[in-house]
Amino acid sequence: MTMPRSRIYTLLMAAATAALLFSFLIYLLYTANLLSFPYDYDQGEGFELHDTVLYSRFQLPYRDTESYPFYGSIYPPLFHVMAAPFVWLFGPAYWYGRLLGFLASLVSAGAIYYAVFRQGRGNRWIALLSALAFLSSNFVYHIGPLYRQHTMMVTFETLAVVMLAGAFPRRDKRGTAAGLLLLICAGYTKQLAAFSALAAFTWMFLRQPARALRCLLVFALAGAAIFLWLNIASDGQWWLQTIVANVNDTIPEQAVGLFILWFKLHGLLLIPAAALLVYELYLDRLSIYSVWFVFSTVLGAIAASKWGAGDSYFVTSIAAACILSGIFFSRALAKDWRLPRRFPKAILTKVSRAALIVIPLLYIGYARATLKLPTAGAFEPVAAALGVEGNVRDDFYDSASFLVGGYARIGYLLTAEDRAAGDEIVRLIRATEGPALSEEAGFALAAQRDVVTNPAQLRNLHLAGRFDGGRLVGMIERGEFGIVVLRAQFYPPPVLAAIARSYEQTQSIHMNGFDYIILHPRALDDN
Amino acid sequence: MMLTKLGAMNGQDSGITKRQLGVFMALVGSIGFVAVLAIDIVDVGRQGGIGPAQFTALGLLAAGAVIGLTLIPLGDAPA
Repeated sequence: MTMPRSRIYTLLMAAATAALLFSFLIYLLYTANLLSFPYDYDQGEGFELHDTVLYSRFQLPYRDTESYPFYGSIYPPLFHVMAAPFVWLFGPAYWYGRLLGFLASLVSAGAIYYAVFRQGRGNRWIALLSALAFLSSNFVYHIGPLYRQHTMMVTFETLAVVMLAGAFPRRDKRGTAAGLLLLICAGYTKQLAAFSALAAFTWMFLRQPARALRCLLVFALAGAAIFLWLNIASDGQWWLQTIVANVNDTIPEQAVGLFILWFKLHGLLLIPAAALLVYELYLDRLSIYSVWFVFSTVLGAIAASKWGAGDSYFVTSIAAACILSGIFFSRALAKDWRLPRRFPKAILTKVSRAALIVIPLLYIGYARATLKLPTAGAFEPVAAALGVEGNVRDDFYDSASFLVGGYARIGYLLTAEDRAAGDEIVRLIRATEGPALSEEAGFALAAQRDVVTNPAQLRNLHLAGRFDGGRLVGMIERGEFGIVVLRAQFYPPPVLAAIARSYEQTQSIHMNGFDYIILHPRALDDN
Repeated sequence: MMLTKLGAMNGQDSGITKRQLGVFMALVGSIGFVAVLAIDIVDVGRQGGIGPAQFTALGLLAAGAVIGLTLIPLGDAPA
């Protein structure tokens, strides 16, 4: 099939490519900046590093939180197991987990390219823009180069869906098995992958119900076997820490705010994606990408109302939208539609001609909608040329702003002052006797002290009525922790109350835009 | 055995039709809609009427039912 070409199309497509490549350049800078930073950037990264350290010692992080060091993990193991060999080689460090996350986002983008190329009649340029559009998303940018398992989950999901899209209809047993294995990998990277599994099996059932049920049986048996093994090996803590503690209070306004933001930033691709979905629903067959898009959007949005959820919960739906919109654009250019006979062909030709102009403009508009960049230093003239100035910080512009609850307030570049602040907290920990009670594990790891507690997890267990905390509170009241480092104060209220009774603030250290409160034991006669 | 029968029932496992999908969505949507509304009737101790979560569920179920109804006339075309 010949590709439609015109000079203006080429020029506009080149401009769209340049705009999205600029976005990718910012992503590279952000990644390089984070790789060199040795402390927590996003809250909770240190605990994922600690999970990795435990796996590197062949220990599970699903532990009894009632006894010292009161640590438990909510996350499935796969991402941390993948990072564990780096601990053997380099010791505990953030850079390799962040690098894995970044590389995973590139693999997702590659899978999006391949899906659009395969389904979009070989239109390489649209496939490239679809992949770059994924990496340009503010939500992907945020979470990509973090020591978090979320990006790896999205990568496994995307690979699984792309694999199944090709293999299942062809009755390719190996390909289908590989797709299902990737889905299991996604689920054992993060629980949220259950939505993608649901979408995949729904689509498989629509295509070939009996085969889908057979596949589901094998999938469920394999998944359940791993689940049981983890539960037995952790003496039941796997169930308690990853399932029971994973039921949180809901904040509906957070989900609504994130949903609106998701649409504002990605709307120029979401609308074509939805158009292809409607076309498939009424005039063609539903593709796995359409079913995936619906499930990941609706269920992701519902899950985003949970305390602790955030913009990352929409990343899967963004991957699906990038694929669907890319296929839609490719088919519009190629006039490749299955329409009723009475439909006038002249309209298709007009749409195709208009698409030559509209499609690159949509990608340019999308690049502007998802714009984020430093506004100081070398980027000052660029920011001035684009007419933007620092909004989330004096020296950083983020088109999403920081106004929506649940939107991660990160993305800016770290400075030497941030590093020095982290070093100072580590020095303070080293200067004390006894264990440190730190809300972020990275400081304790750097100071070569025990990682004690996982505050958000203790909060979850407390809310579920599964955390007594008597021993921890006792240690706090006896002043057994030489130092306490607080940031978000996620500990359960009885623990925070005990800290307030027995410790006093001695310092506040500003790092990464947050104030870390340093506390030392009160003198005994103060209690 | 059951799975083999299922395949045979469905024309050699040729897939779900738009009509079948439409009927399923219309049924789930309408039954779910009534069930969510009934939460307030059955659970008389609840305060505050329909909350945001219920409201969202009602919207999604109603949309599902309407889309399902529009699919039914499309007959045996594969979903």
